Amino acid sequence: MSLYFGIPILLLAAVLQSVWLDGLRVIGGRPDLALLVVVTWSIIRGANEGALWGFVGGILCDLLSGSGLGLWTFSMTAVGLLVGQPWVHALGPTLIRLAMMSALGTVLGHALLLVMMVLLGYAVELGPSLLTVALPAAMLNFLLSPFAFTFLVWFHQRSRRSLGGFAA
Amino acid sequence: MKRDSGPWLAWVLLILALILIVLSESGSLGPLENILSYVVAPVERGVSGVVDQLGGLTRTARDARDLQERVDTLQRANESLVQENFRLREYQAENEELRRQLSYRQANPTLGLLGADVVEQGCSVFPCGDVVGQDVNPYLRFLIINIGTRDGVAVGMPVVTGGSAMVGRIARTSPNLSYVQLINDPASRVSAMLQQSRITGILEGSDEGVLTLTNILPDEQVEEGETVISSSIGGLLPRGLILGQVESVSYLESDLFQQASVRAAVDFRRLEMVLVITDFPQPDLTELDLP
Repeated sequence: MSLYFGIPILLLAAVLQSVWLDGLRVIGGRPDLALLVVVTWSIIRGANEGALWGFVGGILCDLLSGSGLGLWTFSMTAVGLLVGQPWVHALGPTLIRLAMMSALGTVLGHALLLVMMVLLGYAVELGPSLLTVALPAAMLNFLLSPFAFTFLVWFHQRSRRSLGGFAA
Repeated sequence: MKRDSGPWLAWVLLILALILIVLSESGSLGPLENILSYVVAPVERGVSGVVDQLGGLTRTARDARDLQERVDTLQRANESLVQENFRLREYQAENEELRRQLSYRQANPTLGLLGADVVEQGCSVFPCGDVVGQDVNPYLRFLIINIGTRDGVAVGMPVVTGGSAMVGRIARTSPNLSYVQLINDPASRVSAMLQQSRITGILEGSDEGVLTLTNILPDEQVEEGETVISSSIGGLLPRGLILGQVESVSYLESDLFQQASVRAAVDFRRLEMVLVITDFPQPDLTELDLP
C-alpha cells in the first residue's frame, strides 16, 4: 500500500511547512508542500489514492494547526478526489495537467479551507485571503510541480515493482 | 499509469473528514488528537532542530555568521532593554498612582480607605517552551511550542517572552505540544490600557497581523508612542504585560470610538523561546454574585 511511504512523505511535508516554510516569502507567499504532494499523487495514481493521501496529509496538517481536526482533512481529501477525476486527463500531457492542477488544486484547497473556516465562525475574509495567500501559494506550487512529480514518480514506480501494480 | 475504476474510497474519506470536523467542533476528539500528537511532536521537534542547524550552514562565510550572531545578540539586548524600560515606566506610573492615593488619604484623614488592584500582577510559575513551528494554516496566527498538558499547560494561559512582552494565549493543548494564539490573530481580543494615560481599550488582531486598539472613547487624548499594556479587566490576564506601542490614532466623527494602530512589542517570527504563565493572582469573582 502506498501509505507505507506516503505517511512519512506527507509528515515531512507538513512538518517542513510548519518549521521552515513559514519564514519563507516568495512572490508574497509560500508554497503548500502537503497540498502539492497530494495533487501530484492524485495525478499519478487517481482519485482514490489521491483522496487517501489527502485524508492522511490533512490529518497531519490539522495536528500542526490551532484549528481542530478536520479542516485540512476535508479540503485536501476533496482536492485529491477532484484532481484524480478522469476528465482531468483531457487537459493534456501529464506534466501540463499536473502544473495546471497544482495551481487549481491549491486554490481549490484554500478556498474550501476558508469556506469551512467561515462556516465554523473563524474571523477570516474570503476574498483578501484568497488573493494574498492562496494565489501566491498556487503559483509557487505550479512552479514546484515538476520537482514533486519527479520525486513521487520514483516512489510510484518502486511501489508498482514491489506490489505488482495498484488498482483501487 | 493505471486509473481508478471508481472513486468510492475517496467519497467515503470525504464523508469521514466531515464527520471529523463535527466531532472535533463538539470536543469529542481530544483523546484521538492526544494519541496522534505523540507521533507528530517528536518529528516536529527533530525537524525543527535539523532546520535550525541547516539554517546556519546556508551562510556562506564564517565571518558573516559571526556578524549575524553579534547583530542578533545586540538586537536581543536592545529588545530586553526596551522591555526593561517599559517595565520601569509601569512601576513609575504605579508609583505615581500610589502617591496620588496617599495624598488623598492624607488630605482626608477622617475617611477609612482601603486600596485594591483589579487584579494584582504577580506570576509565580513559568514553564518555558521552545517555539518548534508555526501554524500550517496560513489563515491563523498560531505558534506551536514544545510543552503541553504534561507540563501543566492549559487553555487560556498567557504566553510571554522573557521581557514580559505578551505573545498570546494557549488556545489548544496536547500532552507534548501547545498551540499559542498570537495577539495579532484575527480572533484575538486582549483587554488593554495605555501605560501613561491609563486609557483602556480592546487590542484586536487582524487578517494582516496588524494590531489595533479599539473602543477608545472619543474624548480621550491618545498620544503616539504610548506603551500599550494588558489590563486586568476580566481577570483573564495579569496586568502590565507589554503589548506594543501606539503608532497612529484615527477617529471618524461617524464612529462611536477612536482607534489606534499599535506596533507589537515582539517580532512574532523571530521567537525562539517563550514562557507560559500558569498561575497569577485573580480576584474571586464568585463574591460578585453575578446572575
